[in-house]
Amino acid sequence: MVATSTTIGFLPRADLQGLIDLLRQDGRTLLGPTVADGAIVYDEIEGVADLPAGWGSEQSPGRFRLQERGGERLFDYAVPPTTWKRFVFPPEMPLSVATRNEDGTLTLGPAKREIPKLAFLGVRACELAALGIEDRVFLAGPYTDEDFRARRNASIVVAVQCAEPASTCFCTSMGTGPGIRSGHDISLIELDEGFLVTAGSPVGSAIMEQLPLGTPTADHLSAASDQLVAAREKIGDPVEARGLHDRLLAKLDSPRWAEVAERCTACGNCTQSCPTCFCTTTVYQSDLDGVATSTERLWESCFNEGFGKVAGGNFRYRFQDRYRQWLTHKFATWFDQFGTSGCVGCGRCITWCPVGIDVREELNAIAPPSGAVLTLPEIKPVPPPRPGIFTIASKREETPDTTTLVLTKPGGMDWEDVRGEFVMVSLPGIGSVPISVSQRTPEGMVLTIRNAGPATTAITSLDAGAQLAVSGPMGVDWEGPLELAHGKDIVVVAGGLGLPPVRPVIDTVMNDRDKFGAFRLYYGARTPSDLLYKEELAAWSARGDMEVAVTVDRADATWLGRVGIVTYLFDQASWDGSKVIAFLCGPERMIQASCNVLQAHGVTPDRIFISMERHMQCGIGLCGHCQMGKFFVCKDGPVFSLAQLGDTFGREGI
Amino acid sequence: MGRPEATARPRLGVAKFASCDGCQLQVLNLEDALLAIAERIDIVEFPEATTHRSSGPYDVLLIEGAISTQEQEEHVHKLRRESKLLVTIGACATAGGIQALRNWANHDEFRATVYARPEWIESHAMSRPVADFVKVDAELVGCPISQSQLVELVTALLTGRRPYLPDEALCLACKRKGTVCVTVAKGIPCLGEVTRTGCGVLCPSYDRGCYGCFGPREQANAKSLAGHFLLEGIPDIEVGRLFAGFTAYNEPFRTAVTELGGTRGATPDAAWAEAAAALHRGGHDAG
Repeated sequence: MVATSTTIGFLPRADLQGLIDLLRQDGRTLLGPTVADGAIVYDEIEGVADLPAGWGSEQSPGRFRLQERGGERLFDYAVPPTTWKRFVFPPEMPLSVATRNEDGTLTLGPAKREIPKLAFLGVRACELAALGIEDRVFLAGPYTDEDFRARRNASIVVAVQCAEPASTCFCTSMGTGPGIRSGHDISLIELDEGFLVTAGSPVGSAIMEQLPLGTPTADHLSAASDQLVAAREKIGDPVEARGLHDRLLAKLDSPRWAEVAERCTACGNCTQSCPTCFCTTTVYQSDLDGVATSTERLWESCFNEGFGKVAGGNFRYRFQDRYRQWLTHKFATWFDQFGTSGCVGCGRCITWCPVGIDVREELNAIAPPSGAVLTLPEIKPVPPPRPGIFTIASKREETPDTTTLVLTKPGGMDWEDVRGEFVMVSLPGIGSVPISVSQRTPEGMVLTIRNAGPATTAITSLDAGAQLAVSGPMGVDWEGPLELAHGKDIVVVAGGLGLPPVRPVIDTVMNDRDKFGAFRLYYGARTPSDLLYKEELAAWSARGDMEVAVTVDRADATWLGRVGIVTYLFDQASWDGSKVIAFLCGPERMIQASCNVLQAHGVTPDRIFISMERHMQCGIGLCGHCQMGKFFVCKDGPVFSLAQLGDTFGREGI
Repeated sequence: MGRPEATARPRLGVAKFASCDGCQLQVLNLEDALLAIAERIDIVEFPEATTHRSSGPYDVLLIEGAISTQEQEEHVHKLRRESKLLVTIGACATAGGIQALRNWANHDEFRATVYARPEWIESHAMSRPVADFVKVDAELVGCPISQSQLVELVTALLTGRRPYLPDEALCLACKRKGTVCVTVAKGIPCLGEVTRTGCGVLCPSYDRGCYGCFGPREQANAKSLAGHFLLEGIPDIEVGRLFAGFTAYNEPFRTAVTELGGTRGATPDAAWAEAAAALHRGGHDAG
């Protein structure tokens, strides 16, 4: 008989090779479970003989052992160390190539990549859920990973329902398994005599039609049902998932974070074993002359030292901050970002933690069960920004370590179509850095850059006429807050290198002065020689329609102005804060102090707007580095209202 | 020193102290890459490669070997003065090397046992990393160093970018490569999670635990890992011995060796071992 997509077929055990042959047609590579290196791993499968007949696994925190069960059954193991993630989201992937030509111009291009035709055999329900979560992460936007999309589209997914879960499994709690529901092309349930087969997609139906399927007997169906019930009962319900989002985020100050950090080695194995962790880092390679250069994307971990690091320090220096970031992201802020949990309950982070930290125990200790239910956000996709080649038209040295570059783009900029607060500036072979756009010009943009490391130093050392690669602008700019400020008083507070990012606010108000009320600029720098935009500051002061107050932390013999931190400029001010919209940028401690003073003046958190700094690398919310609680600072910010940041702002290690 | 600066190619030197020369051999074994490097850099001093002796100043000086004698201590200060960038290479230069195991032992006793005329031997009681004596600008760790990291460092120096020498656990490389964790799957003790990456997963790829030759990574939590091994039933001396390798003298491996034993002169401290094991006891019972 011919099975259709709505029916369940029975495939005798002896005919499984037929399915394997069908999957391997047209040069398609079949990946599935096989015994290797003392474990079961997903690798290339040519025939039934490669499958782990009679093998199972014993798993507990920090421990995996192959278990010889005997018998003919092929899929009676619990999830192995390999994840399907590595085949749709490779651990090492070339991104782009660039050449610095002899005349100094740059040529950019994508790296050559082949998208293999694959079939996955033995995908568990929790793993189907993980692939579904990765679809949300990479494809639901606003930005998308087109390489991932191509690999997903080129893969056939054959699920096999789990019958022998491990002691580390908790798919039942996360609502992903052990029963297979969706996300597969074909699903199999292994019974002693053979397999129950159903199709989950037109591709699956087409394959099913070519199989010599029989009709399952009532005994087959009841055996399958018993098997599923037994698996479910074996797992139990070890984690109360309902309300976990709110419960966890209410426990950011739990002493347990420091306790678990004493055991945690921050080795990152939990993140690398996880089927949904998606953070990556970009590595630059070049030949000895720096002429031919390439970038490669590697799996990264939020437990790594460099993950939260920026020029000024590390936002998550302590292991307790890194563990909290991982756990709260996976089980709480993931919902805010992607409308789903980041955990599918596969238990790999428990088994493959070399010191046996059990995430279920930590969750139950940090956020014991209660009852709240959360709602999911709507997401609207937008196209990602493309890198463009810009030329340095002119440069101006602001201070000994800070330079302003005027960039032009062939054909000019269409600012009507592009918004965004910052750009990623790349010098191929050297590096890539996020820089705020301080001015928009019809021809391009103006950037003010401090030499904080080799990349920024190399960029500011370039002469006029040199070329740079610029992506963006990206992120949320000041436009929304500026519209809110029509008819209101404006206070701008900037510290050090925080002046260039708020420059668009100043220019907008200057160009349309009548639209706004009183305008006050408070600016602080370390020393007089660190003050940026000295000419502009003098010109703004001279206008008479705005108040400009400047202070330095340490004066020198030439300085006749105010000395002290920037809040001294306005903490005794007599203006009424009830009509003020405030714009802030600078070191985080300065921002905190300023917010306190502004609020004391009556400026409410919904009227205080801040441009935040985090480690921004990809600029489109896909590499994970810039997370701050539920936000990706690069795409959700960097401009936030204080009300939006809420409890996240000012907390150590976020 | 009156050398023309603007047009001259960078002057690179290689110097050695107490070491086996294996890291210098890694430089020599670069072969093709070495020829390309030699076209862009003047290699003016390289004892493993040539008997021709030169002197500073150096734009870049690679130093192999630990500081083990008074003469070496004086010489390394001189080299520092002659070098714009001083880069230590290998476990000896960055951690004191395997010979730093004598730092726990009785130096006089060792000297008398090994040498017929111990009074002729003027060595320090301790073998120590170069950074204990002079400022070091960059480190290439490992015993021996990785050739790809060496090329990366030289390329980054020539092109003016930050070298990619990540300070993350070896585990990341194992997972990217798809190597099954030997500790979890086979119970083989492995120092990968507290050891800096860079070797390309040599030992775990061959079914051995990492023995830490690239040295401790940033904030390495050796105490937790030691406690886990102790709870798995490995005796304290054996756990201490895991850390008592080529980079034993670098913290926090040094503390683990001192507190657990594992080399002559280090005596196990039961209280430290108990505190380390206790970190995991709750988790194991509940699991």
